[in-house]
Amino acid sequence: MKLAYWPGCVSRGFTPELHGSMNLVAPKLDLELVELDRANCCGAGVIAEHNQELADTLNARTFAMAQNVEGAVGMMNICSTCQGAQSECQQRLDADSGYRDAVNSNLSAENLAYRQHSEWWNKNFLWLLVEEIGLDKLRSKVVRPLEGLKIAPFYGCYIVRPTKRLGYADHPERDQYLDYVIEALGAEPVEYAGSHKCCGFPVITMNRTTSLRQAGRHLADAIDAGADCLVTPCPLCHLNLDLQQPAAAQFVERDLDVPVLHLPQMVGLALGLEPKALGMNKHVVKTKSVQRKLAELAAA
Amino acid sequence: MPQHDVLVIGAGLAGQRAALAAAEGGASVGIISKVHPVRSHSNAAQGGINAALNPEDSWESHAFDTVKGSDYLGDQDAIEIMCREAPEEILHLEHLGVTFHRNEQGKLGTRAFGGASAARTYYVADITGQAILHVLYEQLMKFSDSVERFEEWFTTALVKDDTGRIAGAVTRNIRDGSIELFTAKTVILATGGNGQIFDPSTNALICTGDGIAQAYRAGATLMDMEMIQYHPTTLAGIGLLITEGARGEGAHLYNANGERFMEKYAPNKMELASRDVVSRAEQTEIDEGRGFPDGTVALDITVVPKQRIHEALREIVMVGRDFAGVDITREPIHIKPGNHYVMGGVKTNVDGETDVPGLYAAGECACVSVHGGNRLGANSLLDTLIFGRRSGAHAARVAKGMSMPTPAGEDLGRERAMIDGIVGRDRTGRRVSEIRAEMGAVMDKHCAVFRDEQGLNIALETVKRLREEAKTVSVDDKGSVFNQDVLGALELQYMLDNAECIVAGAIERKESRGAQFRTDYPERNDEEWIKHIDLAAGDDGSPEISYSEVTMTQWEPQERKY
Amino acid sequence: MPDYKLKIRRFDPESGGAAYWSEYDVQVDSERSVLKGILDARDRQDGSIGIRCSCQAAICGSCAVRINGKTALACNTAIGEAAAKAGPGNPIVVEPMNNMPVIKDLIVDMDAVHWKKVQRVVPWLLPEGPPPEREHIVPAESMIDITQSMACIQCGACVGACLALEVDDEFVGPAALAKAYRFVGDPRDGQEAERLKDLAEDPHGMYDCTHCFACIEVCPKDVAPMSQIMRLRRRATNDFEIKDRNNGYGHEKAFVNIVEKYGTLHEAQLLPRSFGDGSLIKGQTEPGAVRELIQNLPTVVNGLKSGKVSPVKALYHHKLPDQRNVKKIFEEIESKDERLELNLYIVAENSAEEEGAMAEGSQES
Repeated sequence: MKLAYWPGCVSRGFTPELHGSMNLVAPKLDLELVELDRANCCGAGVIAEHNQELADTLNARTFAMAQNVEGAVGMMNICSTCQGAQSECQQRLDADSGYRDAVNSNLSAENLAYRQHSEWWNKNFLWLLVEEIGLDKLRSKVVRPLEGLKIAPFYGCYIVRPTKRLGYADHPERDQYLDYVIEALGAEPVEYAGSHKCCGFPVITMNRTTSLRQAGRHLADAIDAGADCLVTPCPLCHLNLDLQQPAAAQFVERDLDVPVLHLPQMVGLALGLEPKALGMNKHVVKTKSVQRKLAELAAA
Repeated sequence: MPQHDVLVIGAGLAGQRAALAAAEGGASVGIISKVHPVRSHSNAAQGGINAALNPEDSWESHAFDTVKGSDYLGDQDAIEIMCREAPEEILHLEHLGVTFHRNEQGKLGTRAFGGASAARTYYVADITGQAILHVLYEQLMKFSDSVERFEEWFTTALVKDDTGRIAGAVTRNIRDGSIELFTAKTVILATGGNGQIFDPSTNALICTGDGIAQAYRAGATLMDMEMIQYHPTTLAGIGLLITEGARGEGAHLYNANGERFMEKYAPNKMELASRDVVSRAEQTEIDEGRGFPDGTVALDITVVPKQRIHEALREIVMVGRDFAGVDITREPIHIKPGNHYVMGGVKTNVDGETDVPGLYAAGECACVSVHGGNRLGANSLLDTLIFGRRSGAHAARVAKGMSMPTPAGEDLGRERAMIDGIVGRDRTGRRVSEIRAEMGAVMDKHCAVFRDEQGLNIALETVKRLREEAKTVSVDDKGSVFNQDVLGALELQYMLDNAECIVAGAIERKESRGAQFRTDYPERNDEEWIKHIDLAAGDDGSPEISYSEVTMTQWEPQERKY
Repeated sequence: MPDYKLKIRRFDPESGGAAYWSEYDVQVDSERSVLKGILDARDRQDGSIGIRCSCQAAICGSCAVRINGKTALACNTAIGEAAAKAGPGNPIVVEPMNNMPVIKDLIVDMDAVHWKKVQRVVPWLLPEGPPPEREHIVPAESMIDITQSMACIQCGACVGACLALEVDDEFVGPAALAKAYRFVGDPRDGQEAERLKDLAEDPHGMYDCTHCFACIEVCPKDVAPMSQIMRLRRRATNDFEIKDRNNGYGHEKAFVNIVEKYGTLHEAQLLPRSFGDGSLIKGQTEPGAVRELIQNLPTVVNGLKSGKVSPVKALYHHKLPDQRNVKKIFEEIESKDERLELNLYIVAENSAEEEGAMAEGSQES
C-alpha cells in the first residue's frame, strides 16, 4: 500500500524514536511511505487558535502535496494531534467551496490546490492499522506475541473528540482501536480512568499544575490498574507522559516510573523487531522493565 | 422570615420582568421559582415577539390583528395598551442586550408570523424566548442586591391578613424541605400555564397551573378558562413543538394526498392563518381520513433555503433530528395539533390586579384579556413583558404607601401538617402518575380541538372523580431533601382544579369562538356570547359561574376570515 | 414495548449512608429518551428517584447527567441507542454529572460550581454610554455570530465533562468562558478589552483550558465552548496584544513564529519563546522567563540524558526546503485587515454543493 506520509514535527525533533520505529515497521506491514518532506507543521490547534485561515492554508498545502503523490491511496500521519488539527481544517475546507477556493488561492504561488474528494483520506497510523490493513492481517504478521504484557492505551484527545468530525458515524469503534490492536498483538489491554482523557500537553507552558496533574493522574491510574506500560499514538502525549513524567510525579505526590511506548514501537516489538532498534533506550522513563518481560517471554 | 414589598412567584419572563420593574420602582423584591429561573418554560417560546416598531406599521394595525385573532373576545383596552407599549419594550430589551436578528442596515429585523397583516415579529434565530429569558436573568444577577432570589422554592399556598388582603405565601425550600412563611405587601403570580393537564402537550412538566389554582383557592376569579390553544405543529405522541417560525419562513402543510389543504380553509393567509384556524383545518383533514396513518399531516420545510434554515430554524433541525429522526432540510416532518397554551387564567385589570386586594397576576397565568379566544403567535412573549412590567411597577407603587401586613391564620402550621399528611399517608391510594395519565387522556379526548356536550360531561365526571382520588394519593419519598414526589402530589391537585374549571367553562359556552369549537354549537354567536365566562371557587371547591363584559373600544366584531 | 434495564446512582443525604446503585426495569419505545425511562421508573416504581427535568425537549437544560459514562441530557438520549452502547445484557448506567457536588441521586449542586463560575465573568451587558433613542445599530453578522454563545441553555454538561476542571476546580470553565465570549463578541458591550484582560491574566482563566474537546463533544446545543475560548484567545492576542502572565500570548506567538521561521516545530525554542512573548531573545533574558526556564531545566536535562536528542540537534533544527513559500503564506494572511473565518455553526456542514469526484479529470490520489 502506497501512502503519502506526514511524519509530523515532533517525531523528527524530540521523539526521534517514533520516526525511526515507524520507518522500520512500515515495510513489515507492506506500507510504502512517501514522506512529505516539504510539508509544514499542522499547527497542533495552536495556529488555528491564532488564525483559522492560516491553519487551514498550511494544512491544505500538506493535503495538496499528499494528493499529488502518484499512486498513493491516501495520507497517513503518526500523531493524534496532527489528525485532530488536520481534520478540523479539512472539515472547514470541505464544507464550503467558496472558502476552499479562497484558501487555495493562498497556495497558487506554489501551484498547489487542495481538492475535495470523498475518496481521499488522511488517517493516522492507528486507524490505518484497523481499517486499511485490518486486525486479521496484523495478527498474521505477529512473530513475537506480547503475551503477559499488560498495556494501558492512551489515545490522545485529538483522535477521540469531537466524534462528529472524526468520522465516528462511519467508524463508531475508533475509540476502541488501540485496545483492539493491543489485543491483536497478544497483550492485555488495561482498562483505567484516563485512557481517553487529556495528557495536559496543550497547557504545559500556561498552567503547569493543570498540565502535569492530568499527566500524573492518568499515569497513576494506569499503574494502579496493573499496567506494565502505556502506549500512545501521539508524540505530544508522549512528551507529557514520558519526558515530563518525573515532574508529573511531584504534582501527584507519588512515584510513577511506568514506561510509555509509541504505537509503532509496540507494533514493532510484536513484529519481531528489537527494542534497541526501535529506540526504546531513548526514553526518559526507562523501558527496561518491558524489555525484561519480553526477554522472559522469549525464554519461556 | 422573609419580608418584601413585592413578592413575585414564578421566574419566567413575566416574573423576571415584574421583579426588575418593581426593583426599578424602589421596592424590596423577592422572586420565588420552583425551578432555576432559566428552566422556566418561557425558554421554549421559539418564534419571536411582536411589536409595531416598523415606521410603516402601526400599533393600531397590530391591535386589530390581535382583536381579530382573539375572535373578538379580547378586551380591546388591554390590547391597545399592549400594542402601544410594545415598541418601547422591544427597544428596552435591545438595550439590555438581547441579541435580536438584524437586517442589512444593522437595525432590528422582522420575520413573518401567523395572523399578522405586516411583518412585525422580532426574533433571535428560533430561540427568542430563551434569549430574552437569559438576558433578563443576566439582569437579575446584576441586581442581586435589589432582587432577592429564592431558586428551587415551591409555593404551596397564598396567605391573607384578616381583612382579606393578600399578605404573602407559604413556600417550601425544595433543597432541604423547610417551610417558611413569606410576608409581602403585594404578591405577583407569574406561574405560567397548565398544559400538563393534557397528554400530550408542548408544555414542560412544570406547567401544572400552580398559580392559577392558588389564586382560585384564595378567592380570585378566573376567566376564559375554556380557551385552550392547540398549536398546529407539534410532533405526534411526544407533543414537541415545531415553531410557527417555520411557516413564517415559508414552510407548507400537506395532507396524505399531497394537497396543500390550507387553500380550502384560509385561501389568503394559507399556513399563516391564526392558530385555531390552522389547527382545526389539520384536525378536519385527519378526522376525514386525509391524514397519515399516525394521525398526522406533513409540514414541509424543505422549501426554505438551507442557509436560512441553519440561520433561523436551527432548533427545529435539532428537534427533527433528535426526536423524530427526520432531516427537515430533506424531507417533510409529520405533525398534528397539540395542547400548547391557555388564553384564560386569573382575571386581572390592565395593571395586573386581581380581585383579591394585593394579589396580581401576569403572563400566561393571567387573563387580562389580551388573547381572548385565541392567541396570535409571538404575542405571548409580548404579553408577559408588558404586563409583567406593569404589574411590577404598579405593585411597587402600591407597596410604597402601605405597611407590612400580618398574616391572619395558622397558615404555616396548616401547610406543614398538610405536607406531612401526604408524606406520612399509607400507600393505599393510587399513584400520582396514574391519576395524571387518566386526566391527560380524558382531557385530550373530550376537551381538545373539537368538543361536544356529551364528551365534556364525561370529562367533567372523570375530573371530579380524580379530584377525590387525589386526596388519598400515595407517595414513596419520605425524605425532606428534594422530595419531588410530594411536590408531584401537590401539583396534581392544582392541575385538577384547573381541569375542572376548563371543562366547566367549555360546557357553559354554547358556541364556537376562537379556540373553542363545539360540534354541537358550531357557529359563533355574537348576540348571546360576546362575554367572558368567569369562575370563582364555591364552598366545595367547584367553580361557580358568572359573566363579565368584553371591553370594546374601536372594533366591532366582524366575520373572521383568513 | 421493549424492556430496558436502568442502573441509577442513588444518594440519600439524610440517611448518613454512602451512595449506592438501584436497578429498574422499564418499558419504553426505543426512540424515546433515557429520561422517559427514568420517569417511568419514578412514576411506576420508585417516586423517590431525584432528577431535575422539565421540558423534555433539550431546551430547559435541567436534566444533564452521565449515561454510560458520557455526559448528556437525559431527554435527548435515545434509550435504544443507550442500551446498544451499554452492550447486550448490560444495564444503562445513569450517574450524576462529574465535577459538581451531589445533592441527591442525579441532582448536583449547580450553584456551587456552574453558576458561581458564570457569575465570575460579569455576565451582563456593560454598554458604553447611555442607550440610543432606538436600537443600537450593529452588523447583522455580529448578532448571528454570538447567537452560538446565546444558544447555551446553561445545562452544565460541559462543566461536568471538563477535564481541566477535574484537576483544577478553580478553572473558570467552559460555560462561563463561552458566556464571556457572548459579551466580548457583542459590539454593544464597551468592556471588550477589560473582559479579555481579566480572563487572560487569571491563571485559571482562558489559558487554563486544556484544549481537549470534551465540552464540544457533550454540548447539546453546538455552542462549542472550547471554540468560544479559542476566540477569546484569538482576540486577546491578535486584537489587543494582551501579554498575559500565563504565557498564553507567548505560547501562541511562539508556535506561530517558529513555524513561520522553520516550517516545522522546533521544540527547543518552544519553551523560551513561550516564556518570552514569542521572542527567543526575550525568552532567554527577561527575568520572569528565565525563572520559568530554570523550572524546566530538570526536564530538559532528562531529555538530553535519555539520548534521544543530542544537544546539537536540539539547538539546530532544519528548515524546510521551501520555507520561503511557507513564510510568504504567513505574511500574506497575517497582513490582512480582517481575519477570514468560516463558522460552521452558521454555514452548516456540507451546505455547499456536494462534490463527489474530483474536478478537472485529474488522476485519483
